[in-house]
Amino acid sequence: MSFDDREVTGGWDHSRLPGNVQLGRRCWIERPQTFERFRSTRDPGLVLGDDVNVYGWTVFNLEPDAVLTVGERSVLVGAVFMCSERIELGHDVVISYGVTIADSDFHPSDPGLRRRDAEASAPYGDPAGRPPVESRPGSIGDGAWIGIGAIILKGVSIGTGARVGAGAVVSRSVPAGARAEGNPARVIEV
Amino acid sequence: MSFLEHDWFPRPVPDDVVVGERTWLYSAYAFHHSRGAVRIGADCGIYHGTHFELGPGGEVEIGDFCTIVGAVIATNGPLWIGDHTFVAHEVTIAASEFAVPPRGGSLEARRRQVRGQHPAEEGGDRAGPLGATPDAPDAPIAIGSGAWIGARAVILAGARVGRDAVVGAGAVIAGEVPPGATAVGNPARIVGA
Repeated sequence: MSFDDREVTGGWDHSRLPGNVQLGRRCWIERPQTFERFRSTRDPGLVLGDDVNVYGWTVFNLEPDAVLTVGERSVLVGAVFMCSERIELGHDVVISYGVTIADSDFHPSDPGLRRRDAEASAPYGDPAGRPPVESRPGSIGDGAWIGIGAIILKGVSIGTGARVGAGAVVSRSVPAGARAEGNPARVIEV
Repeated sequence: MSFLEHDWFPRPVPDDVVVGERTWLYSAYAFHHSRGAVRIGADCGIYHGTHFELGPGGEVEIGDFCTIVGAVIATNGPLWIGDHTFVAHEVTIAASEFAVPPRGGSLEARRRQVRGQHPAEEGGDRAGPLGATPDAPDAPIAIGSGAWIGARAVILAGARVGRDAVVGAGAVIAGEVPPGATAVGNPARIVGA
């Protein structure tokens, strides 16, 4: 018995991917585990443009109605996408190590609804009893770079060519060409 | 060229990695992107989640009795870590806050590069922070003996963490932390010396 290293180094057969994943030319996806939490039933549910590189830390955690698009030449090093509706990335986007990008909080914020949500989400709870959850699509513009460990929350647009600094927690949109840094993130016009 | 007895990853530890006596290394997988040199002292623990993402100019030296619980080290320059240093979970030590793995830096990429097939190589330099001068050397990073680096902290090029200093969880460090001082927050500030 031996482990095939192509399963973790990018040489695996991409035709194993779900049918609703649309791959551009020359895309490279390091590990199939990136798709373990891919539950989108939309077609397409995921679009990767030409020459997109997806490293093994990336996770496409897509709920049934989610659609994620990634423009050409983008590099996803360690992006955990928590997507319930829609996240769009432009071309030449760079996502560094340990980044999280979400389009929902995935749970209600009202305390009473949170209790109902906790009980419905319990191992033996009834998922049908979960209260509705708000989602707000997010986007990252062409040529934007997202720094190590940054977290981008729902409803945020990162403008063309913007920079999000390491460890920034971003809950408001960042204009084109601007830089956001810190926790909570502050926007610095450049 | 040597295999770790306990390893699940069917590849040897690369030749440019030297590991001291009684040092535990979780897997050769830690080096599957790396193209640089690593020297680890004796009695260290290098645990699951640690990845050396070194360009050809990357040179890492780690002292004795260090614990690296889980760090990504991404640089094309020198990194020096002293003795008795503790690095917690999900720490990143990187030349740029927009770091990406080295070009052609996975086994599969190298295989395809040999055959002229790797997408990132075909298109020339990959877009992004390493795009302009992908193999230019990065500034040195130093972490002094006895320092502690908290979970999810980010240590960037030019950082000098002094002997016995403490970097708090989630702090982002790009400059000097004096010996014995504590740095916290993002952007980081010094809170004690």
